[in-house]
Amino acid sequence: MSRALTWRSCVVFAALAALPLVPGIPKYYLLLAFDALLFGAIAMSLDLLIGYTGLVSFGHAAFYGLGAYATAVLLERGILSLWACLAFAILVVGLYALVIGYFATARRGIYFALLTLIFAEVVYTFFRYTQTFGGSDGIQGLPDAVVLPGIAIDTPVRKYYLVWVYLVLAYAVCRVLVTSHFGRVLVAIRENEDRARFLGYNVQRYKMAVCMLSALLTGLAGAIYPIRAAFATPDLMLWTESGEFIISVMIGGLGTLVGPILGGVFFTLLRDKVSSYVDWYFIVIGVVLVVIVLFLPKGLLGLRRVFRFGRWRATA
Amino acid sequence: MDYLVAVLLPQLLHGLVFGAALGLLALGLTVIFGLLGVMNFAHGELYMLGAYAGIAMVGLTHSFWAALVVAPLAVGAIGAVTEVATLRPLYRREPLYGLILTFGLALVFREGVRQIWGGDMRRILPPFTGSTPLLGMTYPNYRLFLLGASSLLLLAIWLFFTKTRAGVLVRAAVQDAEMLDGLGVNVPRVFTLTFAGSAALAALAGLLLAPVFTVYPQMGVEMILLAFIVVILGGMGSMGGSVVAAFVIGLAQSLLTLWMNPQRVAIAIFGIMIVVLIIRPRGFFGREGVLE
Amino acid sequence: MARDGVVLEVDGVSKSFGALAALSNVSLAVRARQVFSVIGPNGAGKSTLFNVVSGLHVPTAGRVRFRGQEIGGLAPETINRLGVAKTFQITNIFPQISVGENVRVAAQSRARESGRLASLWRRPDVEAGVADLLRAFGLAARRDDLAANLSHGEQRYLEICLALATEPTLLLLDEPTAGMTPGETKEATALIRQVASARGLTVLLIEHDMSVVMGISDRIAVLHFGEKIAEGAPEEIRSDPKVVEAYLGPPEA
Repeated sequence: MSRALTWRSCVVFAALAALPLVPGIPKYYLLLAFDALLFGAIAMSLDLLIGYTGLVSFGHAAFYGLGAYATAVLLERGILSLWACLAFAILVVGLYALVIGYFATARRGIYFALLTLIFAEVVYTFFRYTQTFGGSDGIQGLPDAVVLPGIAIDTPVRKYYLVWVYLVLAYAVCRVLVTSHFGRVLVAIRENEDRARFLGYNVQRYKMAVCMLSALLTGLAGAIYPIRAAFATPDLMLWTESGEFIISVMIGGLGTLVGPILGGVFFTLLRDKVSSYVDWYFIVIGVVLVVIVLFLPKGLLGLRRVFRFGRWRATA
Repeated sequence: MDYLVAVLLPQLLHGLVFGAALGLLALGLTVIFGLLGVMNFAHGELYMLGAYAGIAMVGLTHSFWAALVVAPLAVGAIGAVTEVATLRPLYRREPLYGLILTFGLALVFREGVRQIWGGDMRRILPPFTGSTPLLGMTYPNYRLFLLGASSLLLLAIWLFFTKTRAGVLVRAAVQDAEMLDGLGVNVPRVFTLTFAGSAALAALAGLLLAPVFTVYPQMGVEMILLAFIVVILGGMGSMGGSVVAAFVIGLAQSLLTLWMNPQRVAIAIFGIMIVVLIIRPRGFFGREGVLE
Repeated sequence: MARDGVVLEVDGVSKSFGALAALSNVSLAVRARQVFSVIGPNGAGKSTLFNVVSGLHVPTAGRVRFRGQEIGGLAPETINRLGVAKTFQITNIFPQISVGENVRVAAQSRARESGRLASLWRRPDVEAGVADLLRAFGLAARRDDLAANLSHGEQRYLEICLALATEPTLLLLDEPTAGMTPGETKEATALIRQVASARGLTVLLIEHDMSVVMGISDRIAVLHFGEKIAEGAPEEIRSDPKVVEAYLGPPEA
């Protein structure tokens, strides 16, 4: 219990669980909350790469989009089982992550950034121009998924709880990861990759592992998205989407897990307000990134917490 | 034979010019990374800014040649200001901050240009028209000019890096940035000048190629992606490797366009990169022992 | 292993970088529990030799054998797991985490879970070893401080702790006292000797400081322009004319 969930996070999750119970809450806000939690979960899984391992992925949207298309393809064909969708998403995203992980982790961290970007662009181009997957329109008009026979995920409340469960599980998994042997090695790789090799660690293997884990978590989030939105489009895989994930992590604070969740939520709400001014939107994103890096590199929560390893001594 | 001359050959020549432009961009990336430790995601936008600065200048003076002088200088100045204001504070920090910052800068430049000039495609008219008979085909004069200009540029750059004291210094520092500290050089100024110089060169490439391609805000994105592939194949520590890889990719791009639509070409180039990485994971000229 | 055999055997090793021959046909043998020093003027190839042994470079020619096993060309992490640990001439620690964390991450690479699936959720207990090392090098009080905030001398000690935490048989020390004051150097030398003998380690040492070398070594090899020009006990090396010439230049005519 103490490693997977802290008391503080339990309180937060409980509060989030109570959200739909608020009387008279409009459907719009529930769905916005869905988006916020999903974005937060993705930002958290990206933090495993950026904050803990020091690897910046500029192509995370590809994992997200692939997961969405996996679900969309199944739902379109009348396979409505949520579990089938998730399993298929794991398969598809897992394969892609394996390939990209192999190439992207073979050399220094900078190549990881470049290769994730290039791979994601290729995936986007492929889906955008392939008619089997709907081309630029994507796959639209999807039916609702089904949890168990007879229980469809059709109301906003059910959709919200779906993402809530996902967030809690993803958070628990991430927390266990970062507090384990594995998590420590990731930090060592971030701090000094070469030194870690000379201490006996097969650094590429660790990088591949964290890349796959982060990709799978994001891919599962992507798999959930069409259940809420009833579509999957290539725009989910745009590099600007990857940029938005990165902003969320930066706003929240690298290396804290919770920070990026907050960052993702904050960013989703911000975007909801600002994106009506579509023209200026991307300039705002760019400026925000520059400003955060220069003046607020620790984000809202900062790197403070990840270094409190003394805490773990007491609970060892 | 007709096909060879009328279609293949011009495309080949075009590929050489394109490769030279890619080489300029890739060199800029390599030098900036080696010296400043920053992967400049905004480099493609500097290329794009060169074209737009050219449009502005041509609008003002109706002279392409005036634009050719002023635009690179203007973008070089923008580069210098950017380096001092946003990159300098990052040198002591982890490299990932530089990545994210330049990514943000790219967004600002790109969307800023879109706000000012709109998102439509624009044209810069070449400074002279007409074509010349060459090897049995007729080749547009401006493209001939480009061939000559890019050869001269590359020659000048090669001379700079091998024969001038400043160039040799920069080249050595790309391999080992720490050596600059011990030489009594004004390091911040070297960094700023290097960044500004790379920006000016990228802008020059953008302007020179503008009459051949159309000008639009996204034009830098496609170039930078190819430049990244070039850098991956050439290896970050090898400037010569970047240039070689640039020509390979430039020629591949040019020739493949004859037979495939643009999307397939992009995927084919990507495929070439994957194949090379499988056979030689460190790229064409990767150096062993640097834990590359 | 307490046999008095040869722990490290460098056999005719050459290493070239393009046209530059950094090492030419260097051979030496280090016996168990010895402190073997490699000295020579700058650019003699000492660090290159270390880099070949520790796996950073592949030898252009020749063989490297560790406890009878070929290690030339193996990856650095593999060589480390076989029992060879290296410290770096320029301090190479994990700057933004605490001292204790630095040593712990080094130590846990030897835990049972390391490299296995279980490492994703298990937290190995390496506390005893970490505390021992920190105590031995006087860093126990600095345990929770950021490694980047340590003094230079303390960082050099941390550098050694990291290497020792991987439980090596052979320790490669690349100028461990670089940048230390004379007082710190004396202390460090004594400490290294003590720890090495307490743990039964074999030590291969690069040093510039002659007092350290003469005081601590069982055997010395001298490199010059990539070649070994002398080898022997400290007294022999001290008076060898070739060695003197390499350091001071040819004798006055």
